[in-house]
Amino acid sequence: MLEVRGLTAGYQGGDVIRDIGFHVDEGEAVMIIGSNGAGKTSLFRAVLGLLQPSSGDVVFQDEGIGGLAAQRIARLGISFVPAERHLFPRMTVQDNLALGAYPNRPDPTTMKVVLDLFPRLAERRRQHAGTMSGGEQQMLAVGRALMSEPRLLVLDEPTTGLAPKLAAEAYQALRALKENGLTILVAEQQVPLAMALSDRGYVLENGVISKEGTSADLAKDPDVRRSYLGIA
Amino acid sequence: MIANLLDGIVLGLQFGLLAGGLTLVYGLGGVLNLAYGQMAVLSAMAVVLSMEAGLAPIPAVAVGLVAGGLLGLLLDLTILRPVYRLQGEARVLLSLLLTLGMAFMVDGFLTWRYPTKALTLRIGGGPVEILGVRMVRGGVVASVITILVLSGLLIFFRKTTLGRAIRSVIEDEQGARLVGIDPQRMLRLILVLTGVLAALVAVTRSLVTPVAVTAGFELTVSALIVTVVGGLGSVGGAIFAGILLGIISTFAASSIGTVLSLIILLLAAAVTILIRPSGLLGVKE
Repeated sequence: MLEVRGLTAGYQGGDVIRDIGFHVDEGEAVMIIGSNGAGKTSLFRAVLGLLQPSSGDVVFQDEGIGGLAAQRIARLGISFVPAERHLFPRMTVQDNLALGAYPNRPDPTTMKVVLDLFPRLAERRRQHAGTMSGGEQQMLAVGRALMSEPRLLVLDEPTTGLAPKLAAEAYQALRALKENGLTILVAEQQVPLAMALSDRGYVLENGVISKEGTSADLAKDPDVRRSYLGIA
Repeated sequence: MIANLLDGIVLGLQFGLLAGGLTLVYGLGGVLNLAYGQMAVLSAMAVVLSMEAGLAPIPAVAVGLVAGGLLGLLLDLTILRPVYRLQGEARVLLSLLLTLGMAFMVDGFLTWRYPTKALTLRIGGGPVEILGVRMVRGGVVASVITILVLSGLLIFFRKTTLGRAIRSVIEDEQGARLVGIDPQRMLRLILVLTGVLAALVAVTRSLVTPVAVTAGFELTVSALIVTVVGGLGSVGGAIFAGILLGIISTFAASSIGTVLSLIILLLAAAVTILIRPSGLLGVKE
């Protein structure tokens, strides 16, 4: 469904990610794990059109999308939830969700699915997004991303700023989405949560992919256990 | 007392419409359009020339509104191109310099080519009585038009998909891109829309007082003051501050004179910046 080959990107002053290759198949959940500063966010920004790659290909459903503007990629069926969420703070929960369906009017069935998944949002439909707690904002960001009925949901550190209980809840919601057939790509520092969700994973270190494999295999890998699972 | 208040509201609604256009472009695209008053004046001249060519007032006004929209489009397609390549403060600064230069050129051209022209639209019939005060009919009609347009704008921004999309760019540009909204297209749209608003300001103002070729800078400065007081990027703030400053300005003009009323307005802007840098209804950064 999504295939990235030889992707190199960065900012003035040097490449942050180099020669990255990975793929996500239909119906899979794939994780990209790595420590802070490994380049996870830059990688996603480059894949999703928020950062111009200097070389490499990004192919989504047999169509080259490398270097396309973020708004065009969004309309092809990839929804991205960035770590900073980028909600519309002075707009209501309802309006934030409705804009997720842009340029279409929000589909009532999809709206219902989202509100059933996150009942808190239903309670707060009229509240401004900026006045909600971190956990609620995260739910809204995922909810907004789902409103366009994406084929692929990409999340950058969905647990950022969330208490452990809320982080676990966020992953429960993602698991429910996966069971409904949604393809998910997630970057995460809280590796145990991501590992429980995903089928496969890649380890990103200093801007390059150092390991890849099924989540079960990665969970047994001594380096991964030491560096990311806190097990000696 | 009530007469001043009502006159102030008439003026304030004009201020609100004027500032609304400026604040939208700034909030949406980080572009400060200092040729905004000149866009209004050029539209007014389009109305004048159309009427001189034999058009009836209403079709001539339609020509003026179209001219305003085209001016907005022209701005987007020409001198704002280099501005769009910049971000942040550099972007604001370049837009300010380029549009200011444009404003001087337009002013120079107009005063050279049409030194004595002014747009004056008259509405027949005597004064209208409101709350026991006899109001000039033109002012009342201008206010009714302005209220209708401002209400229409507020409904557009709150209730329509396109209106919400425009607001979302003001709220968070990257968030807007992530849901598939093209900020550049929204900005072009808003430049056209605010061009039409500038033309409308000229037309409604000409129902009350002649709009001369030299009115451009005064209009821009008034819009800037109202925008600063109301808060950047907030149409509601522009309307609120517009009415407030309209009333202040009218009371100042009647009690201490017209010349000082502009100083009072500037003072109001200065005080607002000191107390609430983001404006009355603006968001705190």
